Amino acid sequence: MEKVCRDWAKQAFGEGLVKAEYWNDFETNAKTAAAEVFRVKNFAEGEAKLQELLKEYADRTSGGIMAVGGEENPALKGIYDRIAASGTAVYTDKFDIYEHRATADIGISTAEFCVAETGSLCVDNYSYEARVATMLPYVNIVFVNANYVVENVSVACKIIGRVFDKGYLGFVTGPSRTADIERVLSLGVHGPNKLLIIAVEDFGEGN
Amino acid sequence: MAERNLKQEIQAKLKDDIMQGALSKFAEQYPGSRLNAYKGQDIEGLRESLRAMKHDAVQHINQLADEFEASLKKRGAHVFRAKDGDAVKEYLIKICKENNVKRVVKSKSMASEEIHLNECFGDHDIRVKETDLGEWMIAIKGQKPSHMVMPAIHLNRYQCAEMFEQELHIDVPGEDIPNMIQLARKNLRQEFLQADMGITGANFGIAENGAIGLVTNEGNARLVTTLPRIHVVLIGYEKLIPTTEDAAKILRLLPRNGTCQRMTSYMTMVDGPTKVIYKNDQGKVVEEDRKQYVIILDNGRLEAAKDPVFQQAYQCVRCASCLNVCPIWTLVGGHVYGHIYSGGIGAILTGLFNGVETFAQFSDLCIGCRKCTTVCPGKIPIPDIIDELRSRYVQKHGAPGMDKTMFNMVLNDRGLFHKLLLKAGAIGQAPFKKGKFIRHLPLFMEEMTKGRSLPTIASEPFRDRVERLMKKNPSKPKKKVAYFSGCNMDFVFADTSENVVKVLQSLGMEVVYPMEQACCGKPILGIGDREAGKETAKKNIAAFEKTGADVILSACPTCTETLEETYMKLFENDPEWKARARAFCSKVCEFSKFVAQEYEKTGRLTHARGGEKVTYHDSCHMKRGLGIYEEPRALIDATPGVELVEMHNCDKCCGMAGSFGMKYQEVSIPMLNEKVKNIKDTGATTAVVACPACMMQIGGGLDKADTGIQTKHIADLLAEKL
Repeated sequence: MEKVCRDWAKQAFGEGLVKAEYWNDFETNAKTAAAEVFRVKNFAEGEAKLQELLKEYADRTSGGIMAVGGEENPALKGIYDRIAASGTAVYTDKFDIYEHRATADIGISTAEFCVAETGSLCVDNYSYEARVATMLPYVNIVFVNANYVVENVSVACKIIGRVFDKGYLGFVTGPSRTADIERVLSLGVHGPNKLLIIAVEDFGEGN
Repeated sequence: MAERNLKQEIQAKLKDDIMQGALSKFAEQYPGSRLNAYKGQDIEGLRESLRAMKHDAVQHINQLADEFEASLKKRGAHVFRAKDGDAVKEYLIKICKENNVKRVVKSKSMASEEIHLNECFGDHDIRVKETDLGEWMIAIKGQKPSHMVMPAIHLNRYQCAEMFEQELHIDVPGEDIPNMIQLARKNLRQEFLQADMGITGANFGIAENGAIGLVTNEGNARLVTTLPRIHVVLIGYEKLIPTTEDAAKILRLLPRNGTCQRMTSYMTMVDGPTKVIYKNDQGKVVEEDRKQYVIILDNGRLEAAKDPVFQQAYQCVRCASCLNVCPIWTLVGGHVYGHIYSGGIGAILTGLFNGVETFAQFSDLCIGCRKCTTVCPGKIPIPDIIDELRSRYVQKHGAPGMDKTMFNMVLNDRGLFHKLLLKAGAIGQAPFKKGKFIRHLPLFMEEMTKGRSLPTIASEPFRDRVERLMKKNPSKPKKKVAYFSGCNMDFVFADTSENVVKVLQSLGMEVVYPMEQACCGKPILGIGDREAGKETAKKNIAAFEKTGADVILSACPTCTETLEETYMKLFENDPEWKARARAFCSKVCEFSKFVAQEYEKTGRLTHARGGEKVTYHDSCHMKRGLGIYEEPRALIDATPGVELVEMHNCDKCCGMAGSFGMKYQEVSIPMLNEKVKNIKDTGATTAVVACPACMMQIGGGLDKADTGIQTKHIADLLAEKL
């Protein structure tokens, strides 16, 4: 999958800017922004959580699932394969994702790091399929390394600035929302109604 | 240009109960929500870093544009510099034809509204849809946004439902907002999926790599930049910043100020063409580089960027917080500003992009209360830029005739004013007087006493009392204080002026009153006539030079601000008068600040035993113009027998704002009513002010509403306890 940076940890993070200790702030602020946050020890627990969530949104799985990030992350690929084997359609190829973009109602993807100050995920969505998988479905599920948290937006932009030469990236903070009618908060206007974050403590290299 | 009837437009808006309800609720909630979003942050530090970065960027606006263009071209984007809206439209239609574009989706772009971009597509049979929910709704009825961030804030759910019905041809119940949201999602999803071209604005453009930033909550900008095979960016020159790191300086303030969020749902940076998968003309699904066209819009921006005053407007990040705290915008809404950009910054941007003539039609709507300057993330001195625009208008077209004649005949010539008042005042007002107030005026002047009583003209103007009062000057004075009364304190609140003198004398000051003093000049400077203002300033400077006083003191904050700050700026190109103005200005001091300093020296500025409840109203010019708000409170606290209770929104404008309150009583009275309510709610028996204009307005409001609450100038309160 096309990315702004192949290895954010190595090429962008630098010394001392990304720390697990900012987690609590991130979690609080992400929840304030209406994201749901699940912290798990490893991918095995993450898979269990994912299965649980897919059950919860079972009425949304009939159009299939768009899932990206498996190429870079063998653990995720394994999870995607097992979901597919259990009978739910999982689209991981970009042309398959294009084909099912209007009907698949669950998207699974990855984020590079978390921003504590705002509860945001920094997402490297250079590829077309990553953007489609994160924006068109009703449910947006994102895996992220729970140890990768920066203190604030200034640090986040510093990190981004080190590697951002071309492409598409940004912050995702909670689900899509609007308050354009009577300033009443409503979720899911154009993008996902749900942002479900699965933060994995032992992310490894995804192995 | 068609003459607008601004008063009529305002009256219509004031009668729009739906809008009134929405705006007053919002105005009440916004300040607290904003502060909550900044919890734990150094707001002033963040504001300063944004101001400094944007200020520096505008000094290098052409270099940044060159670098931005080069970065984009290197990455494969097309770049077009458009001198105005017509150039944008011509270029865009050319691109549409070359690429066989039939359907266009747009995410919000104020620049595209500014040039009425959507109009051009209709002529070429191209379907264009706004996708921001608010913009989409108002576009259905051909309305304009009334707010930069919340374009449909003037509508309620039922009015929104009507828009849905008109567009979708189905019944849409207004009660069910979630249903409307889902209908919009479903309908617009098809637009996204079928569009050939997506048009976005940009919250910023980064010179070093050519990226643009898009800050949205709905996510429509992400869809507009992902699904169509062509991406067009319309970005104004003023949005360019040097580096990706600099973007943080915008991003830490814009969502907090704009929507009271720490971050919006989506902050997206797009850098150059990205891949897109679509079905090509041969019906084959292919992955290709999306075509990206970036249009950099001038439309008056580059010219204004050279001007040291106007260029400050480019510190704007379009958060619209200046609207949210503006006492006028929150009453009349955005539409009366006449164009696309509303509120204080809107007046400025309209002046810069559409000319001072368009601006002049609604420039009265800034009352100079400076509330916006306390929240603007870019620290833009909005009222000062508006003053500058007014002055440019007057340079070009002359001052409004009536205003100027009145000023020259009356305010600038105290002797003449004196004579007129003695005749008209004492005789004319007699039948309408009730105690110290006039409650009703006959016929054409009736408007002026609607909702407020007016104070009566003093039976003996202050200037006629001077000789008697000065006899009581101390024999061994500590200092010589020359008193500048200002018009109100000479002819209306002469008793208060007398109290000023008494307090000063009690502190061991010798008080003198130069009879040749004129109006401070604010009324004429306020309408933009600097030449007339200079003449007035010279008259006053000369009059006070003769006194040889140590201090020039005024008990009117608006006069003080004019004497102390404006006079300094008037004589930039006149060395002789600049030096004389400097000497004059350095002596000017506001009454309560001066008295507090003197109290402090003698150890009197300490808490005294309380009693009767009084509340204090901060005048706009006192608090935000002169930065004086602690001193009057300390003086009240040091006054025996009274106890200070704070009112809600103590520093919100009372609605007088110079002559505004008389000219636009329909706007002024609702502001006054709010102030009266806040005063009543404190349970105080006296409202203390430090400004004669506020005293006139609030005193009149409290009298008309029969509250029994007294209004006193701080000098009155202090003199009573001598």
